[in-house]
Amino acid sequence: MAFSIHTNHRVLFLLPAGIYLVLVYLCAVWPAMQEQAAMEKIPQPPENELVARGRELYGSFNCVTCHTQQIRGDERKASDNDGVRVVPVLEADARFGRELATRAEEYAWQAPVFMGTQRIGPDLSSTGRRLPEAQWHYWHLYDPQSVSPDSLMPPHRFLFTTEAPTGDAQYDYEEVQVIAGLGVSGGKLWAKPDAVALVEYLLSLNREYLETEGLGK
Amino acid sequence: MKIPVGIPVFVAAAGTDPRFAKMVSRWLVSAGVWLLFASVVGLLEAFRLIDTEILADHAWATYGRMRPVHTMTMLFGWASMALTGLAFYVVAKSTLLPMHEPLSKTELVFANMALWLFNIGVGVGAVAMCMGDLNAGREYREWPWYAMAPAFASVGICGVLFYRMVARRAVQGIYISCWFVMAGCFWIAIVVLMGYQTFWTAGIPDRIIDGFYIHNAVGMWFTPLAVGMTYYALPKLLNKPIYSYALGVLGFFTHLAFYTVIGTHHYIFTPLPMALQTTSVICSVAMIVPVWASTGNFLMTMKGERLAISHSYSLPFLLVGVLGYGLASVQGSAESLRFVQEILHFTHYTVGHAHFAMYVFVTFLIWGCIYGLVPRMTGREPPIALVTIHFWLALGGIAVYVVGLSVGGHLQGESWVDGEAFMESVRVAGPDRVWRAVGGLLMFVSHIFVFVALWKMRPGAFTMAFGGGQS
Repeated sequence: MAFSIHTNHRVLFLLPAGIYLVLVYLCAVWPAMQEQAAMEKIPQPPENELVARGRELYGSFNCVTCHTQQIRGDERKASDNDGVRVVPVLEADARFGRELATRAEEYAWQAPVFMGTQRIGPDLSSTGRRLPEAQWHYWHLYDPQSVSPDSLMPPHRFLFTTEAPTGDAQYDYEEVQVIAGLGVSGGKLWAKPDAVALVEYLLSLNREYLETEGLGK
Repeated sequence: MKIPVGIPVFVAAAGTDPRFAKMVSRWLVSAGVWLLFASVVGLLEAFRLIDTEILADHAWATYGRMRPVHTMTMLFGWASMALTGLAFYVVAKSTLLPMHEPLSKTELVFANMALWLFNIGVGVGAVAMCMGDLNAGREYREWPWYAMAPAFASVGICGVLFYRMVARRAVQGIYISCWFVMAGCFWIAIVVLMGYQTFWTAGIPDRIIDGFYIHNAVGMWFTPLAVGMTYYALPKLLNKPIYSYALGVLGFFTHLAFYTVIGTHHYIFTPLPMALQTTSVICSVAMIVPVWASTGNFLMTMKGERLAISHSYSLPFLLVGVLGYGLASVQGSAESLRFVQEILHFTHYTVGHAHFAMYVFVTFLIWGCIYGLVPRMTGREPPIALVTIHFWLALGGIAVYVVGLSVGGHLQGESWVDGEAFMESVRVAGPDRVWRAVGGLLMFVSHIFVFVALWKMRPGAFTMAFGGGQS
């Protein structure tokens, strides 16, 4: 009975701990290592400082809480399933600017990956293709309901200013074309550098890089 | 039917080391403070889905940042701290340590240090995330590393203390509660290490680790601790042995075998390895075994005790918690199935399930254990009227909340399947977002009662006068 789990606390500690470590290796560490090796064969996307800063802000404001960046694919539905072209689970997902499901290559080298878990707002995986106008995104960030009635998105007015930027700083600001619905008194509005970077990141979500690399639609 | 005649709480409490009682009580009161704070944040978030202008001019309070403040504070500030505090008492009692000195003076210093480390972690985490320093896209580990580090150290210290208590037990056998506590502390340490070592993954591997982390943080920490506490509190309060000890052991090992593997069911229909997805679904369904081993065990122990439960102010919480465990877990198994995910993934339904599990299961069990065990430690009972109001407000609140979000989630999912405009899926769940706020409000009010009850049960003159020899 010396090694009985019921009476020996060392055994009681080591046995579940050991089993757990083995399972963790099998279900997380090992598959992650395999996939990591596969991913590292994909060339790294070109670096763009502004986009990188925008991605950081996307994380900092935790946009991923409400927006996914994934179109789920059902491999059972694909008629010409070659592991690359996968039909979306929801047909209606085509409205997010794409016909096919997101693929591993699109997430390559991203850390963290903003796949998301909830769609309180729409999917953003191809938002740069669906909404390619920077001005639209400024309007939407400043007052989401002005361009998207009934939207649940909170306004991000703190990313804008009505005071004209001066000196060198002005090169980092963008002037917003004020439209009627925005309710800006004085009629002038500038996007702060953070808003510029954030919008640059959103516009970069367009899969152009993948296509130039021949990595598909 | 019989009303179990246990000894009065003040008799049970006599001889308890006052400094030990104070230490446990500090963990629980801290947890109560975080419960209130996190409820306010959660409520704020619920109302912001009705009126987007609330606090809209402050970057620190933006919706995305406040959401992890709510989830992280609830998970780690409330549930973890409450369970850790209770575990000190349960491990001490179930190992038959002398209650006049269950922990040595040095160990008590460490236990108190762990308490403050944990509080610092929760506080720093909340502030850091408001300032924008958060691990976005990494759910339930949004705290920056410098907030998780003190909490991690705290659980490490407690794990060592629990191990030492079990090692010097005054009885040969080790009760199943200690199994869950000891293993839980080790498991969560590994989970947190995995979750915070992110340097070696990117892309899809990042999500493999994410799926692992999300579900193991919940199921290899909160579940074992909450179930372990119940294995002690329920037989104690009913004054009878557990229905089947063997079922408890079966539950322990099947939980370990199946729960560890199910994380990838958060990533069904994604480019994650198909073998991993399918394994996770199979094991999710297999979770029925450990869940009903424990749930059935508890229900069979409660069988024939209707009168006892109806005369107790703590047992109803345990009954709801046990049923919550069984039902939330079956719901979770069902949600992992592909044909269910097709419709309900990404919707409010998932949020309803998360609350069902963390609230009806974990939180109700915690409350049952607190109301049942703390008076036996401090000799002070909470005002019963207050506990009754708490029970019905909390139960009513979560019912409104979960039903609201489940209906809303279905409407959202159906709208997507029908291919309506996206904004239609937002509009259609509008009334349910209101119900969510109403349910949240009821729950928040009930948490005020919890806090008052915790305060009324804290060690006082009785503990000082009749406590152990150290005072």
